[in-house]
Amino acid sequence: MSRRGSQVALTIIFVLFGFMLATQLRVRPSSPGSVHYQRAEELALLLGATEEERDRLRDEVRALRDQVAEAMVATESTESQVKVLQEELLKARVLAGLTEVKGPGVTLEMHDSKKEIPPGQDPNLFIIHDDDVLAVINELLASGAEALAINGQRVVATTEIRCAGAVIMINGVRLAPPLVIQAIGDPETLHNALRMRGGVVDNLSFWGIEIKIKMEQEITLPAYTGTLNFRFAKPVQKEGS
Amino acid sequence: MWHLLAALLIGIIIGLNIPWTIPAILARYLAVSLLAGVDTSLGGLRASLEGDFDIAIFVTGFLGNTVLAAAFVYIGDVLGIELYLAAVVALGVRIFNNLGRIRRHLLKEWMGDKGTTPAKGEG
Repeated sequence: MSRRGSQVALTIIFVLFGFMLATQLRVRPSSPGSVHYQRAEELALLLGATEEERDRLRDEVRALRDQVAEAMVATESTESQVKVLQEELLKARVLAGLTEVKGPGVTLEMHDSKKEIPPGQDPNLFIIHDDDVLAVINELLASGAEALAINGQRVVATTEIRCAGAVIMINGVRLAPPLVIQAIGDPETLHNALRMRGGVVDNLSFWGIEIKIKMEQEITLPAYTGTLNFRFAKPVQKEGS
Repeated sequence: MWHLLAALLIGIIIGLNIPWTIPAILARYLAVSLLAGVDTSLGGLRASLEGDFDIAIFVTGFLGNTVLAAAFVYIGDVLGIELYLAAVVALGVRIFNNLGRIRRHLLKEWMGDKGTTPAKGEG
């Protein structure tokens, strides 16, 4: 090879070398899945401050509640007492899921995996289970969902979610996938909580279980239609109330 | 010599400015290849100092070693053993050897030629 040719070859090699070097250096800092230490520290500080504020507000709520109780006792007119009680009753009924409720929220659709199951893999891992549904419900409640329904079954305090053969039993009703979960709450918060990296949707998508999330301006959730019989649980009467 | 540094810089600038990056899975392959590249470049520098630089050996060495190093990583992944460590150790040893010989050549040049060839294999 001529001297000139060898210089050209050397130059090309070194351009290639520099290119490789730069490409490799660019990959390192953006390795996914890791949170920078500094960022984590920052967030921990923020969390601490927020928790302090929460505790202060909690004390404030307690003080205000005491005031309300005092005021109620002090109220002479029974009419306003009845009104207060009715309001309390309505709140309790909403909480118990005995009334239809509406508001903004999200609608989720869960489908069984359409992935081809590799030989030797447990096919059970690729279908929706009770714990998958529970994980979603739990995440929704943790991010402030106020009312939930699955395929039209309102989720209340006594609702069970469990596998019954190939289907999932909720409120004593057998439901088969696809499951439609409706939740009332701040749509954006609910959506983000589910979509979080390493969150419930992320985990389930590993098995190919599809979850479609739609933010809604207004959805209506049905009331709980089952019976509420308390055979064993009895309220404890506090003295003086 | 200077135009090679310029070429290196141009490569780095291109690499920093292209819009895409390689996926994280391939980063390990590139890392070991890069080590092979460093080794071959130092080997070339040593050979030119010793006066027996051959462009054909250098080019085939550079391309061959980088590909071979990546292949080592791949085979290690397939077999489930950390075979790339072998490549890293071998290349590391060679890099230090080359650096040692380059250092001795430069030192000898700087001290003035005393008429003796540098002893090989000394730390």
